[in-house]
Amino acid sequence: MKKIIDLHIKEKVYKKKKTQLSILNNFRLEVNAGEKIAIVGESGVGKSSLLNIIGLLDKDYSGEYTLFGSLTDNLQASELAQWRNQKLGFVLQESALINSLTIEDNIKLPLHYAGSRKKEFKLEDFENVINAIEIKPILKKKPLDCSGGEKARAVFARGIIMKPQIILSDEPTASLDVDNRERIVNLLFKMNKEFNTTIITVTHDLEVAKLHDRVIHLERSK
Amino acid sequence: MKNFKFFITKIFLRKAILSIAMLLLFFMANYTIFTAARSILSTFQGYQEIKYMDQEGTYIANLDPDSNIDIDAIVENGTQIVYDYLNNNLKYAFYTDGFIVSLPNNDDMEISLNYMNEEYYKLNQFELSQGTDLDFDYQLDNNKEIPILIGKGLSKTYPVGSTIKIEDPVLEQSINLKVHGVLKKNAYHSNFYALNSKNYYNFSVFLPVNEDFIKHANIDLQLNGLMDVIILQTTKEKVEDLSEIMKENLGLKFNFFSQKENYEYFNEYYLHSLKIISIITLILLVIITGLSIWSALVSIRLMLKDFTINLLVGLSYSKLRKIFYSYYGILFFLNLIVVFFITAYSRYGCWLRKDATFVTYGVFGLIGMDWFALLVVFIFDIIIGMIIVENMLRKIKKVPISLGVLQ
Repeated sequence: MKKIIDLHIKEKVYKKKKTQLSILNNFRLEVNAGEKIAIVGESGVGKSSLLNIIGLLDKDYSGEYTLFGSLTDNLQASELAQWRNQKLGFVLQESALINSLTIEDNIKLPLHYAGSRKKEFKLEDFENVINAIEIKPILKKKPLDCSGGEKARAVFARGIIMKPQIILSDEPTASLDVDNRERIVNLLFKMNKEFNTTIITVTHDLEVAKLHDRVIHLERSK
Repeated sequence: MKNFKFFITKIFLRKAILSIAMLLLFFMANYTIFTAARSILSTFQGYQEIKYMDQEGTYIANLDPDSNIDIDAIVENGTQIVYDYLNNNLKYAFYTDGFIVSLPNNDDMEISLNYMNEEYYKLNQFELSQGTDLDFDYQLDNNKEIPILIGKGLSKTYPVGSTIKIEDPVLEQSINLKVHGVLKKNAYHSNFYALNSKNYYNFSVFLPVNEDFIKHANIDLQLNGLMDVIILQTTKEKVEDLSEIMKENLGLKFNFFSQKENYEYFNEYYLHSLKIISIITLILLVIITGLSIWSALVSIRLMLKDFTINLLVGLSYSKLRKIFYSYYGILFFLNLIVVFFITAYSRYGCWLRKDATFVTYGVFGLIGMDWFALLVVFIFDIIIGMIIVENMLRKIKKVPISLGVLQ
């Protein structure tokens, strides 16, 4: 199995107004391609912070992070943006849509920043995604006109449209009913099975967590 | 370009009220800077122009503010007595303008006749675009042609060498004029006491006057000529004697000031006003820039989720910076265009109103000082734009792109 993530966080200081909280002390994570990992833990232990670091959104920590064999410290901001666009996919809660755009525009948003890779993208790729996720009827709708389940699937579609190697999923089922929760989880695992996509999911839902290959329990730093 | 188009149409213009607010604020800033820059440049030009008067022994007449012109109080031949005194005892530069006549011309403008003597002509050194200098040594005779200079606007209708017959309003008789030279485009003269105010001579005719001409002219020319008469190579005592002569014969008190004293007056009143205008402009500019930054930061707060999602899926800060600069560049450019059109319309308005003393020639009607002021606006726009964009980016970077922002 090929190791694609090798992360060692010595310390992450979480600042909020005047208070500072030290989290993820001496945390180590190694992930192989195609693994399904769930991250669980109580609120405030640093689950989302960890996802921000893995997703190249946060460089403000002490430690080392090697992604796809490259030390991320050596990457420029523009390269990080390019990697976020082409190697990583973010599947978030259903609220993570731009309300002024249609569902179709929201899904196609990563294509605006794809640069030369946009040429590789074919209309049938998009058709395949929307057919798989069953959101064709709502493509021309705005997010505010859609149900929670429809929005969650749109966020999912945006996360996978660039065929990422890693999907970072932050509480994707938090506000969904049972049917929609199952649908999203199935879609995630389908991606894993068909394309060997690595899945890292932050969740409070232990039922969902159990479905992953590994479950990492984060605990509050002492 | 596609990213930019996408951002403009799908993100910025979705909050049209913010874009409109920014446009209005920038317009206020641009117009304020434009007006102040043009005023300051015009004053500077006036300073440069009037410098020739700042010589030892040069005094400029100025009617005392408490004097009221009463034609009945002028003794018979009173003005001529003053001129005789001037001719016999002093060297003086004579100039008066604004005598309107109807003279057919291509632009259908009313023409201003301006009269000056040789000393005034020497002092001013009018620059010519065609022709030769004036000759002041002519005889005032019905059959003789008086040499004249004309403004650029009349040069097509009356080229150098052509003759013009007019009913002269000051001689009150027909005279023949011969065009000797054409003034340069947009030749102007600044007001002695308000250096930022100018009269343009594109539709003026300059007649040379000599002692004989003044003697035959009516009281309007004689009296008007004394209002700003410049006494050269003299002393304070001699101009005080002249003032006495004027008082006795015209019933009017005239003061004589050196240009240095006029500068002091200018510094006390106009320069002070200009300083206040500059300070107010600066304060307004700071307020407008502050409001613009505030408005930009409000838009960031309102669109933070949109920006974060874009950053999440591949937008980089450097691309975002380019997008911001392009966006504000367009807003400033639109404002510059508006200021440009307002200025062009104002200049063109003088043509429409046939306002001969303010009509100017230029690309789209704009003259040098307008282009300079637009350049100043452009430079300020770059500075304001940089302040706003860098503040916006600082604000966005302060809020880490994180999944938390979206929840």
